[in-house]
Amino acid sequence: MQGTTDDSVDVGVPFADVLMAYADAAVRRDGDLAERRAAVESALGAEAVVDAAATVANYQRMVRIADGCGIPLDEVTEQASAEWRESLGVNEYYSALNTYGEEVAAPA
Amino acid sequence: MTTDTAQFDYSEAGFPIAERIRECHLRDWERLRGPGAWWTGAERVAIARQTRLAEDCALCRERAAALSPAAVAGEHEADALLPRAAVEAIHKLVTDKSRLSEAWYEGVVGAAGMSEERYIELLGVLVHVFAVDELHRALDLPLEPLPTPLGGTPSGYRPAGAAKDVSWPPILLPEHADPGDLDIYEEMRGRRPANVVSALSLVPDNVRWLNDQFAAHYLSWTEMGEIDKQHRRLTRPQLELLATRVSALNECFY
Repeated sequence: MQGTTDDSVDVGVPFADVLMAYADAAVRRDGDLAERRAAVESALGAEAVVDAAATVANYQRMVRIADGCGIPLDEVTEQASAEWRESLGVNEYYSALNTYGEEVAAPA
Repeated sequence: MTTDTAQFDYSEAGFPIAERIRECHLRDWERLRGPGAWWTGAERVAIARQTRLAEDCALCRERAAALSPAAVAGEHEADALLPRAAVEAIHKLVTDKSRLSEAWYEGVVGAAGMSEERYIELLGVLVHVFAVDELHRALDLPLEPLPTPLGGTPSGYRPAGAAKDVSWPPILLPEHADPGDLDIYEEMRGRRPANVVSALSLVPDNVRWLNDQFAAHYLSWTEMGEIDKQHRRLTRPQLELLATRVSALNECFY
């Protein structure tokens, strides 16, 4: 899990590096998108590129639903993720307020 | 530019886009152009148009980069079909969603021409159009022209059992749903729906749209529960890795 926010950590998922690089380029709108998409295709094939693009699109939608409605973590997720949220710095996200209220400091 | 006949022609996309995705996108455009519960078809297409305009909005970029978005003065160009608060909300939801707050939400739904129901339907239209466009952008495909709106009057339907629960807007939980709305949680099989699903349920058609597009772009809720089966070319861990990365990039705690 640490590797999803820290590129120096091996997440143990095959071709994680090319997949995460592609997601980064797609979300950040950076100029490397074509190159990173080609890397996914080279490593995993054209069908995998479509899977990756559709997954990125799917979660670009889900984050807006979550943040647009101020939803807290589901109870089961909150319990299951307690240990690693702190180490990943996820508890520092502004939207953590929706789960923990004012216990988490809002950004300036 | 709008079109009466959406194509979503992926024959020259350069990638083997599954037919389930194309068929879903055709349904997306039909849903988009018809009247909803709280907005007309023309207004829904206007929401989609503003969603696209926000992508290249200089004011939004400046606000998103600012320490505090309130520090950047200015207003977006008015849209003849939408309340000003709707336009501002759309731009914020597209470009600066990680800094939304309940106070912001209350301000939007209390503004002229807005309501909780209108906000939730607006959000539903926005996120589903945005997801279609995001898939196109990720594959360097041109965006599909928006559809020509259909006539008709919004139904004004608000589920009687909707009530304030864990999210800012009221939601409809299965135990409070009329039989006609129980289908929205059909795949949950009696479990409490995830908060991100029930979040849109003040307008039940939003959840029907979400269930459909989620299954096409990612996995159905049933497939989500089949941890050991491989439903796509990418493995489940690879899909989950991408999902987590996108959430982290967006600083989405949920």
